[in-house]
Amino acid sequence: MLWNSASRRVKVSLYQGAASAGALLFALAVIAAQGVPLSGAPQGQAQSATPTLQSSQPSPNQAVPDQTLPPVQPVPAPPKPLVMIDPAHGGSESGAVLNPTILEKDVTLALARRLRIDLGARGFVAELVRDSDVNLSTDDRAAKTNAAHPALYVCLHATSESGGIGIYTPMLAESGETSGPFVDWNTAQFSFLPASRAAQQEIAGAMQKSGMLARSLTAALRPLGNVTNAAVAVELAPTKADVSQLSAADFQQNISAALANGIAQFLSTSRALR
Amino acid sequence: MIPRQFLITVTLLFALTIAMSVYVWQLRRREIRAPRLTEKTEHVAPPMSGAVEQVTVYVAYDSPGELRAQSISIPLAAGRQQRAEGLLRGLMRIYTAKDSTHPLAPGAEIRGVFLVDPGLAVIDVNSAFVEGQVSGVLPEELTIASLVQTLATNMPGLTRVKILVDGKEQETLAGHADLTAFYDLQQIAELVKGLSPQQ
Repeated sequence: MLWNSASRRVKVSLYQGAASAGALLFALAVIAAQGVPLSGAPQGQAQSATPTLQSSQPSPNQAVPDQTLPPVQPVPAPPKPLVMIDPAHGGSESGAVLNPTILEKDVTLALARRLRIDLGARGFVAELVRDSDVNLSTDDRAAKTNAAHPALYVCLHATSESGGIGIYTPMLAESGETSGPFVDWNTAQFSFLPASRAAQQEIAGAMQKSGMLARSLTAALRPLGNVTNAAVAVELAPTKADVSQLSAADFQQNISAALANGIAQFLSTSRALR
Repeated sequence: MIPRQFLITVTLLFALTIAMSVYVWQLRRREIRAPRLTEKTEHVAPPMSGAVEQVTVYVAYDSPGELRAQSISIPLAAGRQQRAEGLLRGLMRIYTAKDSTHPLAPGAEIRGVFLVDPGLAVIDVNSAFVEGQVSGVLPEELTIASLVQTLATNMPGLTRVKILVDGKEQETLAGHADLTAFYDLQQIAELVKGLSPQQ
């Protein structure tokens, strides 16, 4: 009797233990199936098994990209228009000998440097084709300009004849032979003539506003025809017979300011039209 | 002993040599001081012949930077090519005159005008023409526009003009105006409008 009751208790305990162990195993299986990371399990296994859970609840210490929102790109500021300024002549090629002490190549370089400053003050980027007394062929000048893709190319000249300031666009009768992306070098400017004429008008207008005599003309002048952007040439001339005026600082400053105003007006208008 | 006649002869010859040396030295000094003519300045073109005609030429004025039409009376030959040469040589006489409004060097001349095909004229100028040209975009344009427009007005049928210097192609006239290309007469006509005196 005593033995029977004892053996029944043992049996009940065994049943209870088995039930508890089964329940525990079932619970573990359910937990494993739901993917809750176990403290003792390797982290890589847990992460690979639960990518969605991980991404929806990122740990603050983990640098995980947020896939619920599109990535925010910083908006780049519009590039500032580039103006290429070409002081004509240079090196052994002095240009016009305006008087025994004033050479055209020096007058154009001094004016180009002033113009670069004036355009910078108006928020534009300006580069010089030559910034020293060096020889450059007209083809080199055009190649350098075309590689820079400026919004405007301005070639500067000076003469001793007092016929007013000349603003020139290229004299091109017709386009040369084109083949796909290749265009005729001598008439490469042809498709940019409307833009060049617009620049010419703005510059001539700004000059006249400043009380200067300015004329819009065409010229067979290299390298204007080879430039693949809006392109103009500006020729300084003394207002009277005194050629030394061309190298005077105040005269050059007035010309430079008027030129910069005209160029700024052209660039603003062409940007607004784009 | 030296003979007396021999001594007298030697002395006379020595004196003559000294006198000749002094004379030659004087001649040399005079030559150095005299002004030297380095270049021939007068025209070498033959005189124009033919009936005198009144024609319109386009004359450049440097001071206001203008091109003005002007009537002149010059003898012109009947042949088309000689007529073209006569026109431009008449223009050269205006530019090489003392009171010229667009002075060119005294020796500047038109060597020839060649009508290569019905629409093309080739103007050949001499090197003095180029050397005496004032350098600058406007002064050089005035010269070219003056030549081309004078031809275009008086020689119907022309469409293009090419300019050579001493029979060869040159890059520019005096550092600016491009001479490698052909000048289109319509483009020049547009330029002439811009260079005409403003009303």
